[in-house]
Parts: sequence; structure tokens; C-alpha cells
Amino acid sequence: MSKPAKTHKIKMMEEQLAKKLNRQVVGSLVGCVHCGMCNDCCHYVLTHPDDPKMTPSYKADQVRKLFKANHDWTGSVFPWWVGADKVPLTDDDLDTLKDIAFGTCTNCRRCTINCPMGVDTATLNRIMRGLLTNVGVMPEGVRVVSKDQWELGNQMGVLKEDYIDTLEWMSEELEEELGHGGAAIPLDKTGAKVMYAINPREVKYDPRTIKEAALIFWAAGENWTMPSEGWDNTNFGLFSGDDGLGGACAKREYDKARELGVDKIVISECGHGYRSTRHEGVNWSGEAEPFPMESSVMTMLRYIKEGKLVVDPTKNNQRVTFHDSCNNARSCGFYEEPRELLRLVTTDFQEMVPNRAEGFCCTGGGGAMSMSEYTPRRLKSGEIKANQIRATGAEVVVTSCHNCVDGLGDVIKHYGLGCEVKQLVDLVANALVIDECAVMKNRPAGAPRPEPPVVPAAESDVAAARVAAVAQPLAGRRILVVDDEEDIRTFLVTVFEDAGAEVMEAADGDECIERAATFKPDLISLDLSMPGKSGVDAFVELRKTPGIQEIPVCVVTGHPEFRQVIYDRPVPAPEGYLNKPVDEGKLVSYVAHIIEIRDERAN
Amino acid sequence: MVERTIGDKRLRMVRGDITEIDVEAFVFDITENAKLGSGFGGAIQQRGGIAIQKELDEIGSVPTGEAVVTQAGILKADYIIHVNGPKFREEDEKHKLESVVKSALARAEEKGVKRVAFPPIGTGMYQVPLDLCANVMVDTISRHLANGSNLDEVLIVVRDPREITPFEAKFKEGV
Repeated sequence: MSKPAKTHKIKMMEEQLAKKLNRQVVGSLVGCVHCGMCNDCCHYVLTHPDDPKMTPSYKADQVRKLFKANHDWTGSVFPWWVGADKVPLTDDDLDTLKDIAFGTCTNCRRCTINCPMGVDTATLNRIMRGLLTNVGVMPEGVRVVSKDQWELGNQMGVLKEDYIDTLEWMSEELEEELGHGGAAIPLDKTGAKVMYAINPREVKYDPRTIKEAALIFWAAGENWTMPSEGWDNTNFGLFSGDDGLGGACAKREYDKARELGVDKIVISECGHGYRSTRHEGVNWSGEAEPFPMESSVMTMLRYIKEGKLVVDPTKNNQRVTFHDSCNNARSCGFYEEPRELLRLVTTDFQEMVPNRAEGFCCTGGGGAMSMSEYTPRRLKSGEIKANQIRATGAEVVVTSCHNCVDGLGDVIKHYGLGCEVKQLVDLVANALVIDECAVMKNRPAGAPRPEPPVVPAAESDVAAARVAAVAQPLAGRRILVVDDEEDIRTFLVTVFEDAGAEVMEAADGDECIERAATFKPDLISLDLSMPGKSGVDAFVELRKTPGIQEIPVCVVTGHPEFRQVIYDRPVPAPEGYLNKPVDEGKLVSYVAHIIEIRDERAN
Repeated sequence: MVERTIGDKRLRMVRGDITEIDVEAFVFDITENAKLGSGFGGAIQQRGGIAIQKELDEIGSVPTGEAVVTQAGILKADYIIHVNGPKFREEDEKHKLESVVKSALARAEEKGVKRVAFPPIGTGMYQVPLDLCANVMVDTISRHLANGSNLDEVLIVVRDPREITPFEAKFKEGV
């Protein structure tokens, strides 16, 4: 039987492959001797021992076959020997390749550093991803996130007004907490020394880390700013293999830094953000003179060493362990600085084994958190990391990467480890001894210590109202709490009622839809894993049902496998997404903020 | 930023976010299933409200090379012209691109608008080469404005230097 003719997409992939061949890539394509050393390095192989398709060399062979068939003499002389007679020919073949490249590898590079031949399998896998995305073959989550980053400048679809609003919100909270009017986050301040670039996850799901970083810059007396554009340090081009996106994202940051005239870009704790911005982006965007850049981990460590920050490690006295982000560690050689910082701000640090270059992936690398179709396999591959964490006896797993925060959070929940995940920014901010930091020591001689603003008597009514608003930030609001577990419902209802809200409960998806229509809440707190109609189905129905489709939804879930409501988005994404267990204060301030934004939009 | 005058008409390149531009209509590159999706589609939904997707759901689909019009919800514009441009290196992308630009201009004329804004169609995630896009869009729009159009001005709204450079070069070629 004759073979089918190559489709247009296959021809385009072959054309694209030719453009990606350089010495490093060709070396990896021809260097593999299939010795099997990489097998024991891969968390997918170790957790799926009976599946030969999990081996790194098998994954890399998918690109290798295309190379041999089109560019190497062995493919012409004995194609049956080098697999050149088994190249993809139809568009159905591409779906299989998609599942291999995106669903069985997080590009963690553990196999790469353990290969005796120096084969960079992760780079080959990224090339396969790039060939596929170039012709439109990719997981839906990758498509959604890539389009957001191409068109809106950040990978979570955060609008500029929402980003700026979040910075203002965090500024207000910080100044209230400090009782100091000078701690607001500077936006687009020309001539600042430092431009701080963050992960959009911080804006959308964890703004507390922005506030903590602002506190640290303020306490250190730094002349810093955040940019209104080019603020996203993440780069989905690294994950999707799209070098065009990679270059575009990085260049936005570099261009903005030049426009503001800053001395350096400080990159918040994001592993792939650091690798993309500091290293890969320079090549993707063709930067002739790379801009000075550093990770916020180095910045915080330097501030402490220079005496600008004074910390008290006893404020963080839980047992902590450290997880190396694959991108920070294996790809950037960034091993010791986070440990040095961790030892300065904590009292009980227990090293995870193995660690540094030999550490295992959190399961969330390579954009895996956006590919919900592979979640069960990803969680199974997390067994190794779960065992590593369990052996340390740690109450807190610290990491310097937002993907790792989510990946580890999923693993901890899935394997019932009962610990929490923090970043160094959390620990440093918590350990600060403000009175001894630079901002206090360096104030002009005789200048008093900043005190909370005194409210004039004439404004007492306003002040009383403000106090009431702070005490009951949800006064006058109606909230529908949807959760099938009675004790969690009771907890959420109590928290919202204590914050002043009128609350109604629903125990499943059907009740959610029915009560949303009758109760007309200002916000729905929605669990995703429920018997009967799931929270995901209920969410989609909410978004499609006239009359209730505009009610803001804050997902409160303990089940990471439903992450597709964020990434796949058949309907507009939820306004909020919190993981259980959820902190009371965070829940209330987050929900109050979502409703405020809704009100502002309505007006 | 740069502009080209064609009789009493104007073709101009500006930098900004197309969903916030103050024009009567702007063009959005949609998929065949008429879903707004993420990116600019997400911004349209968040800023413009749910009525736009609802209207698209009634339309159902947008064949490649064609364009449909919806209201623009509470955005500044009155209309959104949804075009299904070439995507992911599909065959004959030049002619498909030309076809959607013509379709979009035709829909704008039908609605009687005077100012319409285009993004560089397909040059981000959809991989249409920027040089090709600049050549086809500027030439097609210029020809349209020179041949009895009722439009006063067409804007090409770019986001960053990556897009500015090829369009600027094309504008400077002259008519």
C-alpha cells in the first residue's frame, strides 16, 4: 500500500525545522546512542515504568526522525534504521505528537544534565512544540494563554486597567498597614534605579506577593518603579516553542526599561520568567546589548548583606524545605543564593534530597499547569516530589517560582502532605525588622518615625464609616456560597457573614444555578468538585445563562484538575480563583475587591 | 505616527490597544466558530460586555476570508467587524489576507462608518509574516480608499516596535 502524501502542515513543519538547526541542536539530534541513562532521570518514566513512550529518548526521537528524513545522510541511505521511514505524514499523526511533546515532558532538563553524550532532550522537545504550534497544533490551554500574551502583553489576559487597579489596591493596603504615606508602588517613574517585573499570576491570583515586594523595596530605601507596560516577566514562548512570542515578550520588558531609564530590571520569583527574561529572551529578540537584570532573590539577599534590610529569622520558625525551580537551577545555575537567603530568614531549614541540579520537577513546569487534559498523568508523576517533600518533615515548602507554587500546591493536596507553599518574598517580608531597615535609619536627622495618619475631628463621621468599612468590608453585599461539604460551607458562610454579607448556601451545581437566579448575589463563591452537576459545568452554565451570566464568580477549590476554567476558557474566566485551604483575610479582601471592580465597571 | 494621504482620505498607523480606540468600527480576527476567545477577544468580552458574544452565537460561524459585523457593546466603537483571517501558515495566506481586508472594508462601507481601525491581521499567534501583512494590508486599503470609498480614515493599530517597523517601512514606500 502506498503512503499518503504529506499534508501542508507536515511540509510547513519540515520547512520550519530547517530554520531551527544550529550546532547545539544538530549535536543533540545526532548524538543519542539510546543508552537509556536518561530513563532513571525522568519523573514520567519513574512513575510510569511500564510505558516505553515516556522515555526521554523516545520523545526526542520524534524530532530526530524528521531531521534524519530531511537533513541527514543516514535517512537517505538506511531510513529503516534511523526511523526516517516513520515520519508523520497526516494531520492525525500531529495529534499524537502533540500529546508526546506537551503531555509527557515538562522540559525540566534533568535528563539533559545526566546524558553522557550531552544530548539536550528538553531543547528537542521544545523544538517539536514549536513546530506544532507553528501549524496550530497545541493544547487548548496553550492556545488561550499564547494569544493572551501575544495580544494583551501578559499570559493571563489581565487588562491594563485591572493591573493598575491592583497596584493601587496593594499600595493602599500597604500604606494602611504601615501607617506611612510614602510606601505606595511607584508606576512608570522615570529615572528610578530598578524596574520590577512580575508574573501575572501575582495580579490575578496572589497580589499579596506584590505588596510584600513593595514593602521590601520601601524598607530598603530603593528607588524603584513598576511599569505600566512590559510588566509581565513570564514568557509562554519558552513553553510553546514559539521563538517569535519569546522575543516579543522579552523585548516589551527591555524596551520599557530603556524608556524609563532604569539601571536594571528585577525579575520577581518566577523560574521560567527569569530564564526567559534574563537569558533566552536576549537571543530570541536579537538584543545587541543585554540590559542589566537580576532575580529578586539576588536583590533581597544583597539588601540584607548591605544592611539595607534587617531580618529576624525567628519570625519564620516553622520547618522549611526548598524546592529548586528547574529553570532557575538546571537552566540558569541559580542554586546557592536562595539557600543563603533562606538560612538568613528562617530557623529550621531541611534540605530536600536530591536537590539543586538533581532535584525533581514540581510537575508544573513547561506550561503544564495550563494543559488540564494531562492533569491526571501530571499528578501521578508528582509521586516522586511528594515523597521527597514528605521525607523532610517540612511544614513549609519554599520555592522561587510561581509555576512551582501551583505545581507543588497540587502535589501537596493530591498526596495529602498537609504543608503549605511559600516564596522567599513571603519569608523575607515576614522577617523584616522595619525599625532597623534603611528606610528608618536613613531618614533625615531629627525626622520623626512615621506614624499612622491622624484623622481630624471634623472627619470623625467619615473616619467611623471607614472603620466600619474595614471591619465589615462586605456590608450590604449578597454572596452565594456553593460547596458540597457542609463544614466548608459553614466556614465560608461564617467568614462572609462576619464581614457583613448576606449569605445564601447551595450544595451542588443545580442549586447554584437556581439560587443565583432567585437570590441575585453580588458574587458566587464556587467549589468545583461536587457530586451531580460539577462546579465546572455549573460555571459554564452560569456564564451562558441570561440574567446570571454577569455575576462575578470566585472559585474556591481543593481540586487542581479543574484548572481548565482558568485556561481553556470556553466562556469568560472566573473573576477569582483561590485554593483550599483558604485564609479568611485573603478571602474577604479578595472577594470585596472583585465586587468593587464589578461596581466600577457597572458605573 | 506615520500616515499616507490618498486624495481626501487618510491611512494612518497609530500605537495602542485596538479595543479602546475611539473609532466607529474596528476589526477583530476571529476563529471560524465565531468565538471571541482570549487575547483581544478576552478584552472585548471584559470591556464590551456579553452582548457581543451573544450576537456572534446567533451568527454561528465566520468562513475563512469573510467578515461579519456585530454591535460593540459598551466599547467606544459602534461596531466590531469580525474577520476570519489566515491562521497558522495555511495555504495561500496572501490571498486570504487580501480577501479579509476587502471584506472588512466592504462591511464598514455598508454600515456607513467614516473611521475604521485594523490590527495587523494574524501576525501574532497565527504566524502570518509581518512583512507580508504590511504589504497586503497597506496596498489593499490604499487601493480601496483610492476607488470611491465613503470612508474618511483607516487606522492600523500596532502594539509594539516589532509591528511598527515593517508597517512604517511600507508606509514610507509611498503610494
